[in-house]
Amino acid sequence: MTISRLFSARRLTPYLFLLPAILVMATFVYLPIIENFYYSLFRWSSIDPRFTFVGLNNYKRILSDSIITVSLRNNVLYAVISVFFQVFIALVLAAILEGRVIRPRWGSFFRNMLFLPSVLAITVVGITWQLIYRPDTGLLNQFLEGVGLGFLKRTWLGDEGTAIYSVIAVSQWQWVGYVMILFIVAIQAIPEELYESARIDGANLVSQFIHITVPLVRETTLVMTTITVIGAFKVFDIVWVMTAGGPNHASEVLGNYLYRVAFRNDEMGYAAAIASLLFIITFLLTFVQLRLGRSGEEV
Amino acid sequence: MNRKFWTLISLLLVAALLLAACGQKPSGGESAATGPVTIRFFHKWPEPEHMEFYNFVIQEYEKTHPNVKIVMESVADEPYKDKIRVLMASGEVPDIYFSWAGEFSWKFARGGQALDLTDAVMNSDWKDKIILSAVEPYKWQGKIYGVPMRINAKFMVYNKAMFEQYGLQPPTTWDEFLAVCETLKQNGVTPIAFGDEFPWAASHYIGDFNAKLVDPAVRQADYLLTAPAEQLFTDPGYVEALSRFQLLMDKGYFNEGPNGISHSGARSSFIAGKAGMMYIELEEFVTVADGMGADAFGFFQFPSGTGGKGDQKLLTGAPDGFMVYSKTKHPQEAIDFLKFLTSPEMGKEYVKRLGIPSAAVGAVSAETALPIVVAGVESINTASGMALWLDTDINIKIVEVYLPGMQAVLNGTKTPQQVMSEVQEAAKTVQQELKNQ
Repeated sequence: MTISRLFSARRLTPYLFLLPAILVMATFVYLPIIENFYYSLFRWSSIDPRFTFVGLNNYKRILSDSIITVSLRNNVLYAVISVFFQVFIALVLAAILEGRVIRPRWGSFFRNMLFLPSVLAITVVGITWQLIYRPDTGLLNQFLEGVGLGFLKRTWLGDEGTAIYSVIAVSQWQWVGYVMILFIVAIQAIPEELYESARIDGANLVSQFIHITVPLVRETTLVMTTITVIGAFKVFDIVWVMTAGGPNHASEVLGNYLYRVAFRNDEMGYAAAIASLLFIITFLLTFVQLRLGRSGEEV
Repeated sequence: MNRKFWTLISLLLVAALLLAACGQKPSGGESAATGPVTIRFFHKWPEPEHMEFYNFVIQEYEKTHPNVKIVMESVADEPYKDKIRVLMASGEVPDIYFSWAGEFSWKFARGGQALDLTDAVMNSDWKDKIILSAVEPYKWQGKIYGVPMRINAKFMVYNKAMFEQYGLQPPTTWDEFLAVCETLKQNGVTPIAFGDEFPWAASHYIGDFNAKLVDPAVRQADYLLTAPAEQLFTDPGYVEALSRFQLLMDKGYFNEGPNGISHSGARSSFIAGKAGMMYIELEEFVTVADGMGADAFGFFQFPSGTGGKGDQKLLTGAPDGFMVYSKTKHPQEAIDFLKFLTSPEMGKEYVKRLGIPSAAVGAVSAETALPIVVAGVESINTASGMALWLDTDINIKIVEVYLPGMQAVLNGTKTPQQVMSEVQEAAKTVQQELKNQ
């Protein structure tokens, strides 16, 4: 009796419909986050599941761990370089391909060529580029030798100074085309009349780009920037495939250091603490993204 | 009416989701006595020719044991190290699982994840059918926790044609070895093919150097962390080991940029005749033979430790074997299948199909294997003992400092002294942690 009255109450119905989704989210997203914080307060391993409470020691260790510093530096490098290439360069490429010179004849050809790498599996990309980077028989070094730039030859993935940049470069190669396509979509939504009147006013291509294209794809730019930055902090797969963080931890990023600590070193508690750090970073970035997104709507 | 219907539907949906979320029972819940028995079997050889062999074994076994079903799973070498830990953490541990010998297997024994097989092996005919020396590294506190499937060791292989061309002989001392390298280098040949992208490859070199340059008792006390904290890994032999390794790099005896090349990539170079020598495992002999012909290469024991305090007759290598999960629902069946898998009959089949030495008694012979593999097994039998793979013989937290350190030595960014002082620190920390537990 009372239950049926409760259900018939109009205001409860929407929540009932939401309930399955909320339950799924709670079970698979929120609960693990809370559990992770809890686990980070213990020392425990996968093989020997004895829990020892260590308080905030795992977090203290993060502060003094030099590999964490290297990883964070690499993540920041990843983010900065990715924003430059995947947002700025991708936008320029999109504008060029949508320009009146290229588009009619070559537009779709270049679009497809540049988009292609993003549909390849990460492992395929990683292994292919490993071969290209190989110091002795690799394409890159042979090319440098061939054009007389032999002094630039490096052990790209084996040198502590170049390993992370070599991996970042592959990421750019893979994703620039993808972001470019999104920008092309945004540019196509800009009314042609704006460009037409600009041309009549005598604006050249560069000022058309700066004064019409850039302001009108602002929404897409914001979204792509935040997605790229967050992606740069969550990166794992391509680094793991190409260098596994080596040599000597030089190309370690947070994601794969976390994996290494958890599944190689068997320090689950410490891994959970690193996961918390990663969570806080990405959470803050997402928060910024949401705020920026909202301010965009108001404009 | 309509609304009541939808309320009901959504309630059902919620209930279904709840059930799905928490209704999962751990696997293997069926009773052992009557129903079919499922044995989960997990190893690290997903290569097709290996899978073919294991499928054959399973078929043969299931023919005579209709009530047993073997469910096999496998992932490659590197990912195996991660996946087995994930399985241990989740509690979904396979009934029979692969493990490297030494510390890698002892930690399962310490953690109570491995079944004591001493009785099953020693009090049956099993002990006469496997090479017992290969069981030793699976013993922890005097009890047997693993059964070897195959034996393996590291040798220096060389290109016969090249050695002939430059009038070289397999070296027997460190100085002779350096002289061979120098001659090859002078003739424009890369002396040693080496791929250290994943630094386990370097750890095989260092493990061999350590075994021959450090007094065996001292080395054991360091590896097992039983030495006093202040003395751990302080023997000058360890620094000498890394220095000899560094020398090979600095003199240009390794190919360019080993840290950027995978082990199999380097092996391709050797097979293609682009390098004079390579440090490889006995199990790789068959791959090299397939690539360049069984008569095109010879092997010798790496004379890495001349003048050192270690045992010069040790060989670096280890058996590969299996352990049984301590909480398996079907210990009887699991042990029985393992016994079948490691039997001489299956061992012969293994050697014939794969060319890799089995740990079963009498499995490797002129009938079943290449002459060079038979010779390799003879070397193992005449060696004074095995120095286990360094990366699976010491605690993983020390490995994670030691191995990247070797890469840094190759790159010239750290000195052998620096690496060893980091190893000493790591060893002290781990020793302290183990004491606190």
